[in-house]
Amino acid sequence: MTRLSLQVNGENRFVENIDPSTPLLWVLRDHLGLVGTKYGCGKGLCGSCTVHVGGKAMRSCSLPVSSAADQEITTIEGLAKSNEELHPLQDAWIEQDVPQCGYCQAGQLMSAAALLKEKPKPNNTDIDAAMSGNICRCGTYQRIRKAIHSVAEKGGVA
Amino acid sequence: MRHCDSELHVSGRSEYVDDVAPPANLLHAAIFGSPVAHGIIRSLDTSKALEVPGVIAAFTFDDIPGEGYIGQIVADEPLFADKKVVFHNQPIAMIIANSHEAARKGTLACSTKIEELPAITCPREAFKQGEILQELRVFEKGDVDSIWDSCDHVITGKVDLGGQEHMYLETNRCRAVPMEDGQIKVFSSTQSPSATQKTIASVLGIPMNKVEVDVKRLGGGFGGKEDQATQWACMAALAARSLNKPVQIVLNRVDDMQMTGKRHPYKQDFKIGLTKEGKILAFEVDHYQNSGAFMDLSNPVLERTCLHSTNSYAIENVRIRAVPCRTNLPSNTAYRGFGGPQGMFPLEAAIAEAAKELCVERDWLQSQNIAQGGYTFHYGQNLEDNRLKQTWDQAVADFDLEGLRSRTKEYNDTHTMSKKGFALMPVCFGISFTKTFLNQGSSLVHVYTDGTVNVTTGGIEMGQGISSNMIAICSRIFGINHERIRCNSTNTSRIANISPSAASATSDLNGNATIIACREILSGMKKVVAKELKCDASEISIKDGQVYCGENATELDWNTLVLKSYFSRVQLMAHGFYAPPNISFDPIKGWGRPFHYYTYGTCLVEATVDCLRGTYSIDAAKVVHDLGRGIIPTVDLGQVEGGLAQGIGWVTLEELKYADDGRLLSFALSNYKCPDGDFLPDDLEVKFLENVDNPGGPLGSKAVGEPPFMYGIAAYFAIRNAIDSFSSTNEDEIKCPMTPEQTLHLLYPNFEYD
Repeated sequence: MTRLSLQVNGENRFVENIDPSTPLLWVLRDHLGLVGTKYGCGKGLCGSCTVHVGGKAMRSCSLPVSSAADQEITTIEGLAKSNEELHPLQDAWIEQDVPQCGYCQAGQLMSAAALLKEKPKPNNTDIDAAMSGNICRCGTYQRIRKAIHSVAEKGGVA
Repeated sequence: MRHCDSELHVSGRSEYVDDVAPPANLLHAAIFGSPVAHGIIRSLDTSKALEVPGVIAAFTFDDIPGEGYIGQIVADEPLFADKKVVFHNQPIAMIIANSHEAARKGTLACSTKIEELPAITCPREAFKQGEILQELRVFEKGDVDSIWDSCDHVITGKVDLGGQEHMYLETNRCRAVPMEDGQIKVFSSTQSPSATQKTIASVLGIPMNKVEVDVKRLGGGFGGKEDQATQWACMAALAARSLNKPVQIVLNRVDDMQMTGKRHPYKQDFKIGLTKEGKILAFEVDHYQNSGAFMDLSNPVLERTCLHSTNSYAIENVRIRAVPCRTNLPSNTAYRGFGGPQGMFPLEAAIAEAAKELCVERDWLQSQNIAQGGYTFHYGQNLEDNRLKQTWDQAVADFDLEGLRSRTKEYNDTHTMSKKGFALMPVCFGISFTKTFLNQGSSLVHVYTDGTVNVTTGGIEMGQGISSNMIAICSRIFGINHERIRCNSTNTSRIANISPSAASATSDLNGNATIIACREILSGMKKVVAKELKCDASEISIKDGQVYCGENATELDWNTLVLKSYFSRVQLMAHGFYAPPNISFDPIKGWGRPFHYYTYGTCLVEATVDCLRGTYSIDAAKVVHDLGRGIIPTVDLGQVEGGLAQGIGWVTLEELKYADDGRLLSFALSNYKCPDGDFLPDDLEVKFLENVDNPGGPLGSKAVGEPPFMYGIAAYFAIRNAIDSFSSTNEDEIKCPMTPEQTLHLLYPNFEYD
């Protein structure tokens, strides 16, 4: 058991009495109250738990918290600049009416945001490659793709 | 208007059961399941679990104070295994601890000695051994036996139709909180709050009025939480009441996949007879349903299989026999389509085989036999209009079927190791619960003195957009902006005796109830101001929040109207109740008018098969769908797109594998493949029939949740169609899903394996 310092959504957060092998997902949800990131499979296979660690999309359900300790972590709660100004992808998601049950959507958005950072103008193949690890059982894939394209066309996420 | 929760969902602020801040002293449950699929429990020891740090209690069958057996149709399912186990990982004990992790460790410390018995996983084998859950059901029309001799072609075949994992991304979960005077409040991810309430009351031996079930939203249900969310809620409630502490249970993915039932797999025999002109004279099918260990919803699922066994086709001589077979698998259950897809598949397979024998195109044979207005189905209901054929004709014309046929031929003539194929799938899906009594909906509408509105109905929000639909309906009936209206959680203390959110009927039943409630409130309000406006109450209307007298806008707005009504002591809340008229069904005779109406559509799917590897791509899926007057365009379209995606998945990638000893081998997303964005077609086009109404649905809408699922069946026959251009398929048993592995088998039927 140890004490860890984490950089989450631009804030310093401390977690006491934590087993360093605890998956980041449970630290976010149970210790820091950031419940927007969801448990789907626990094995990094569905994408529901996707967050950014050091700017890259990572599956928090299978990432030990200790390996995220000295990097910037961004969760869905920190994707928007502020409560008033949503991330362009979040606006596009609303515009395209993407979510159905909503459960996987935080992970979808985090994967899409990482993609646009790396490839500001992705084609369909880029999108499929980056997003194929994010399962949506409601089948919102078409709209996700449209939403990503619409943000890219409007100038990306910079 | 759009999905009302979009902004919450995209910002991570929408709350599911375990996202709500935990109450103090929240305890966690984990389940110890059976290591074998069938056997007699000789001993069970949970004492070691209690030595694990953090573990507080263990519960088994003997700790249930009330009824130990649950089930909505037959109470044949023990909440925990009772002296014997009948499927692998069947819950035997529940461990409660102060953390989820400790509870899990506790389950690992449990031990049991089981005398293993042979497991049955195949429904044909179960039938042979007399393991059936109810007697054989038979539906008959015309005289099948005497017609075979007059057929020019008679074709028989067998089908091995796979099941399907629901794979809702939110696993089953529940939080139960003890309240004063022995009451209990339960937050569950269930499609059936009242069934949950009733079963908890029964298990705990307390009256239903001491149990409150509240459901905000589900992270997906698809039928998997209609009947099989109940047991987890009962377990959480049992521990919460016994320990007098709040208890939460969240299944991990593997437990969820191994412990809960799926879409029913079927084994089927068919026989089809046709004239040489392509008219289907007779169709006979035997359905052996793989029901799993208990009844669950197998009976109504099987009933819908029987009702939809002729899908969209007019056939004068029909015999359908069906039997639910008991196997050593978790009890299979509701899943989008509810047996309908399994009913439709064998006839589509029979038509494909017949087309080969007659040397005609499969779609030509389909078109020769599509049912038109006036046709009477084998259960007595008439097709009352011609919109089914209209969707077919429009699909053929708008999607240029003839152009596609010649392009496909040209491609196949010029490619040796890559072949294209296509297939059409008409769908005629009956809307209503076939258990007639379930066709009732309730709504509670509150108008507050600041002019805002709250609506609560029996509908469960699981992504299908029921909350948004209810808001849209209130908005349209009241004539006010939707931003003034909220939809509340579904709660058994506000709405009693809620039917499950299922059968695609949730919006119909609860939407019509909401219209009734809104109109009752409006009627009182109008009387209040009629005098002042010097006009008849019937002339008053509200548009965009402004009160009109006839065509003329008055100075009154909604808020003033509300306040005037309040100070005049007029009721600003109402409960609406709706039960669709003109439906009745005698399940014994298999005769009546079970459906309020039908939802129709036709889908065209195009596929390309890599004939070296057996892999394939679904290139296009194009749909003409009869939606009536849709309520919210993006929400309705989402149901079509999502249903289609699941349907395509069912017949292609999604393969449930069981070992002979009954263990599920496809128990995680690493060995069970769901369609992703890459797999689904880039070219997806959905057209809605224009200028069509539906008097049976709220605001003229039609139910849309399930029917699009069956469009996916076209993908199966599109792949087969492509394979037919490469090799000649003539297998003993037609197998679905058409996985790449199965495709390869069909491409090289004579390949000798080592």
